[in-house]
Amino acid sequence: MFGLGKTQSIKLERDLYDRVKKIADVAGYATVEEFVTHVLEKELIHFEDAKSDDDIRNKLRGLGYIS
Amino acid sequence: MSLLDSLRGLLGGGQAKYGEPIVIVSGLPRSGTSMMMKMLDAAGIPIMTDAVRTADVDNPKGYFELERVKELEKDPDRSWVREARGKALKVISFLLKDLPDDNAYRIVFMRRDIDEVLASQNKMLVHRGEQDTTDDAVMAEAYRNHLAAVRIMARKKDNWSIVEIRYDEAIRDPAAVARKVNAFLGGRYDVQRMVEAVDEKLYRNRKTA
Repeated sequence: MFGLGKTQSIKLERDLYDRVKKIADVAGYATVEEFVTHVLEKELIHFEDAKSDDDIRNKLRGLGYIS
Repeated sequence: MSLLDSLRGLLGGGQAKYGEPIVIVSGLPRSGTSMMMKMLDAAGIPIMTDAVRTADVDNPKGYFELERVKELEKDPDRSWVREARGKALKVISFLLKDLPDDNAYRIVFMRRDIDEVLASQNKMLVHRGEQDTTDDAVMAEAYRNHLAAVRIMARKKDNWSIVEIRYDEAIRDPAAVARKVNAFLGGRYDVQRMVEAVDEKLYRNRKTA
C-alpha cells in the first residue's frame, strides 16, 4: 500500500504534528505517514459513501421527500 | 460565484451538448427550497410541478414539487428529467446524485443552519404522524457529511453549475439574494417579483443567539 503511488506533501502545524506522531508511535504505526493515511482514508469514507446513509434515507422517507 | 461557474455561464453552461439548462432548486428539506421555488415562479421561470403535494401547515405557500422526483433513486428510467429543460425543478440534495448526466443543471442550493433544519424537520414529522428515533446529533453529523459529499460531487460534474444561497440571508436581504440568483441564471428575470415572493413570517424555526 505504501510507496506504490505518487505522493504529495502537506504541512501540519508543529503542535498537531507532535500529537499525531505521539499517537502514531503508541498505536504501533510504522510511520506518521502510515497513520495519517489510515485516518484520512477512514474519514473519507464518510463523504464518499454517502449513498448508503440510511439515517438520512429514513428521515427523508418520513418527511415524504423520497419514496 | 466561482470563476469556474462564471466561465461556464459565459460558455452557455454546455448548452450545445446538453440543451437548455434545467434550473434545480436543492438543499436539505426545510432549508428554504420551497421559498426559492416560489421566488423563481414569481420571476417568470416555468416550474415543473404536478401540485400533488399541496400547501399545509409546514409549507403554507406550497411545495412546488413533482412526485416523480421522489422515485429518482429507485427508478432506473430517468429520461423524463429531460422534460425539465428550460424549467425549474425541485430536487432535494440527497437525490442530486441520481440526476442523469445528459442534461446541464444550474443548481440553486439552499443552505440553512443544521439545527434549524432539524428542528423544522422534527416538527414536520410530528405533523405527518411519523416517528424518527435517530438522535439529532447523529443526524446533524450525517447531514454535514452529506453536504460535503454534494460539494465534492459538484466539483466533479462538468454539467453542473451551482450557487449557494443562505436561507437567513434570503430573509434578511431578499433583494441581494434575488440579484445573485438572477445573475446566476443569466440575468433575464424579474428581480422585484422574486423579492416580493419572500415572506419573512415563514422563517419560524429560528435559532436565537
